[in-house]
Amino acid sequence: MNWFVWRQHRKQFLIFGILLAAFAALLIPTGNHYWHAYQQALTNCAQHPAVYNCSDLTDTLFVGPSDGLIRIAEVLGTFGLPLLLGLFVGSPLLAKEYEEGTNKLAWTQSVSRRKWLTIKLAWVVGFALLYGIVLTLLATWWSHTLNTVALNRFVQGHFETQGLMPIAYSVFLTAVGFMASAWFRKTLLALAITFGVFVLCTASFANWIRPHYMTPVTVTAHMGPGTLDGKIPTNGVWVLSRDIVDKNGKAIGDIFPSAPPACQQIIRQAEVRGNGHGGIRVKAVPSPNGGDPIDDCLNKAGYHQVAKYQPAYRYWDFQRIEAGIYLGMTALAAGATYWFVLKRDA
Amino acid sequence: MGAKAIQTKQLGKRYGSFWALENCNISVPEGSVSALVGPNGAGKSTLLKLLTGLSTASTGDSLVLGSRPQQHEDFLSGIGYLAQEIPLYKSLDANAHIEMGKHLNKRFDKTFIAGRLHDLAIPLDRPVGKLSGGQRAQVALALALAKRPKLLLLDEPVAALDPLARHDFLSSLTQAVAEGGLTVVMSSHLLADLERVSDHVIVLAAGKTQLCDEIETVLHEHKLLVGPRDHAKELGEGVQIIHETHSAKQSTLLVRIAKGTKLAARWQQHEPNIEEIILAYMGQAKEGDAR
Repeated sequence: MNWFVWRQHRKQFLIFGILLAAFAALLIPTGNHYWHAYQQALTNCAQHPAVYNCSDLTDTLFVGPSDGLIRIAEVLGTFGLPLLLGLFVGSPLLAKEYEEGTNKLAWTQSVSRRKWLTIKLAWVVGFALLYGIVLTLLATWWSHTLNTVALNRFVQGHFETQGLMPIAYSVFLTAVGFMASAWFRKTLLALAITFGVFVLCTASFANWIRPHYMTPVTVTAHMGPGTLDGKIPTNGVWVLSRDIVDKNGKAIGDIFPSAPPACQQIIRQAEVRGNGHGGIRVKAVPSPNGGDPIDDCLNKAGYHQVAKYQPAYRYWDFQRIEAGIYLGMTALAAGATYWFVLKRDA
Repeated sequence: MGAKAIQTKQLGKRYGSFWALENCNISVPEGSVSALVGPNGAGKSTLLKLLTGLSTASTGDSLVLGSRPQQHEDFLSGIGYLAQEIPLYKSLDANAHIEMGKHLNKRFDKTFIAGRLHDLAIPLDRPVGKLSGGQRAQVALALALAKRPKLLLLDEPVAALDPLARHDFLSSLTQAVAEGGLTVVMSSHLLADLERVSDHVIVLAAGKTQLCDEIETVLHEHKLLVGPRDHAKELGEGVQIIHETHSAKQSTLLVRIAKGTKLAARWQQHEPNIEEIILAYMGQAKEGDAR
């Protein structure tokens, strides 16, 4: 049975090996280049501290026109290769057997359907695992420079393209393809479903699910310029929200309508003085303690700022949690595949 | 007859609210070659799939080679099955299929299949998708036979073949049967072909078993009667009318006569051939549907 699965699918395995190699051919030289450029920039800023700021090199790195393209190619590749695996290995694998009736040939040899499916799943999911590992080693290594230059690695496009996630995606999408093809028995439909699941998962996890894995850290600050920023670490945190809240802790969208009349007056005066339109903040007459009179008034009224963020050190916890969820869903999809194959008629 | 290779009791298969097969009672003796005939949609494919364990029955029971059909290696190793569309892995060559057979079966006669395909001059290294329909059918049959099954179930294997390929296929089959130890059930629309290779007949129509017996017995029990029209209702006990046609003055009846029944002398008796009998049964089922 092992021999036959290999014989049947070796061409697909080979093609995906080649795809991976092509991706490596893009990432290895560019990754090297960026790493060296970063080291160069570090040396430069150490020598010319007046010109370059060593703590923020984002202005000097990744700014060329081709850098954007390379970055896009890297993200597309790391997202796309697991998707392609799900679409062109996971989905057709069973569907083609059903479509061409060869399942009836295979299932009337002296191998039980359970064994047949188990060996097939083991091979293909095993391949997806290996493929995901190679892919993530490449992509994570490539992203190293980018990560070092203080990047938030939690957001969409960064989170899924590093660490455990490429492995989770490869295995999960392959299993989804398997399940969809066992369910609907049509390659095209299985392709469409696998693609749909991919889109749904990438969109929903980044925006609605991932922020809630762990209770975010909450910081509060007085009203005033930069007071809140001073309390949020700069390196790689994921800021989920920044709000101005009133004395009851209720988040305020637009300050003016809800502000106490005294503060409203100060704001209005400031706008007139600035000849400004609504919302433009102009320094009014300095208050006795040197602060902004509007901020002072709002502070007195109990207003303050609140931010919620996930600290950078939680990154690997988040990776483990999300990859764990995907592996759980992979197991469900595999279980459903067994049900469809074993319990339904050929 | 001795042991039974297949025995079904009230076997039925329902898809949604549609019964593809209902109350199917057949019994197939070991070593026989049975022709499974019936119009399209009569449930022939459904019955064969139930017997292989590829699908599960909605009602009733069946015993195939002494056990219920199941997805188990021991059961499957006794069965050779050839599905209607003659499925093979189109991109793989015959050699790969032989290797598949070897790897997927505990018992697989590689020497037999290699020799057989060689004798038939079928190229072993060409993708089977590029072989002719007749060659593909031969590869598929050889694969099924190389399992050395006790029971071979063939679902319209010759339907898509030209007369020469059909002849070759049936010769191969006859040869395999002659080697002994094989029970065959083969469905087909081609009644003349079936008569050539089979000794039993099963007629399915409208999802029900109409007839299941040895061909010799069937021929013996059925008569074509021609007589005056008015007497059609006076045939008496032991005579079952399968099909009747009437002209102004006389009636032609195809009847099944129980052993020892005597017929009135006014009936002219003829011996119908198996094709006529089968057609009569199919026609009966159709009228039954229309009623």
